[in-house]
Amino acid sequence: MSDAPPDKNPTQSPVEPLYTHPASPFMRTESNIPPKVAGIPGPTPPAMQVQSTWVTYRSQIEIGLALLAYMMLLVGSVTVLRANPGASWRYVVAVVPVLPAALVVFLFVRRLAQTDELQKRIQTEAFGFALGGTALLTFTYGFLEGAGLPDLNWTFILPLIAVLWGVGTAIFTFRYR
Amino acid sequence: MKNRLRVLRAELDWSQADLAQRLGVSRQTVNAIETGKYDPSLPLAFSLAQTFKRRIEEIFEADPRQKVGG
Repeated sequence: MSDAPPDKNPTQSPVEPLYTHPASPFMRTESNIPPKVAGIPGPTPPAMQVQSTWVTYRSQIEIGLALLAYMMLLVGSVTVLRANPGASWRYVVAVVPVLPAALVVFLFVRRLAQTDELQKRIQTEAFGFALGGTALLTFTYGFLEGAGLPDLNWTFILPLIAVLWGVGTAIFTFRYR
Repeated sequence: MKNRLRVLRAELDWSQADLAQRLGVSRQTVNAIETGKYDPSLPLAFSLAQTFKRRIEEIFEADPRQKVGG
């Protein structure tokens, strides 16, 4: 039969913790939580808003997963198309990545609808900035192409919108600070 | 639009985050309303009035120089 209480695990609580020893260099600190006494309930812990990562970042996680699915399907689709350039089903395979892309759009719009009213205003102004800025830049480059600059691919437009949208969000967020 | 939000909040010893949580908006929204940079929607103004148990006119005061719809 052992002297130690049955519920004590010797690996978790040392017999003589460092801070209790009189020769210990560690300062003994008082715990701000009073020890529990049998029959008397302990102090109620301070009310804290503990939110799981899933609740806080749900939209971001969902959009991230949808983007991941888009990239995976895009790589898969391109690989399959290269291996089977003459297949009759190639058009179906080519548009498969549009499905997760559509999911990204759906999740993004849903997220926008859920934001509070100031965020909605900031986003409206940022989208206006991105739209106007993209129109200006693409028109300007169009004129420059006419003057002899090399032709650029249309796929540059979406990243341009994204960059201007990000810049616009930063500008208008700062304006309401 | 002028408002007494900061005073009312201080009376209850609430932080901007506390008030934001009670209203279900972001802390930035509370700050923008307090500093007069953003006028809240009517539903949010009513929520504020309800939270502070006051009438809207006791919290907000129209600024005669401000253009409506601006």
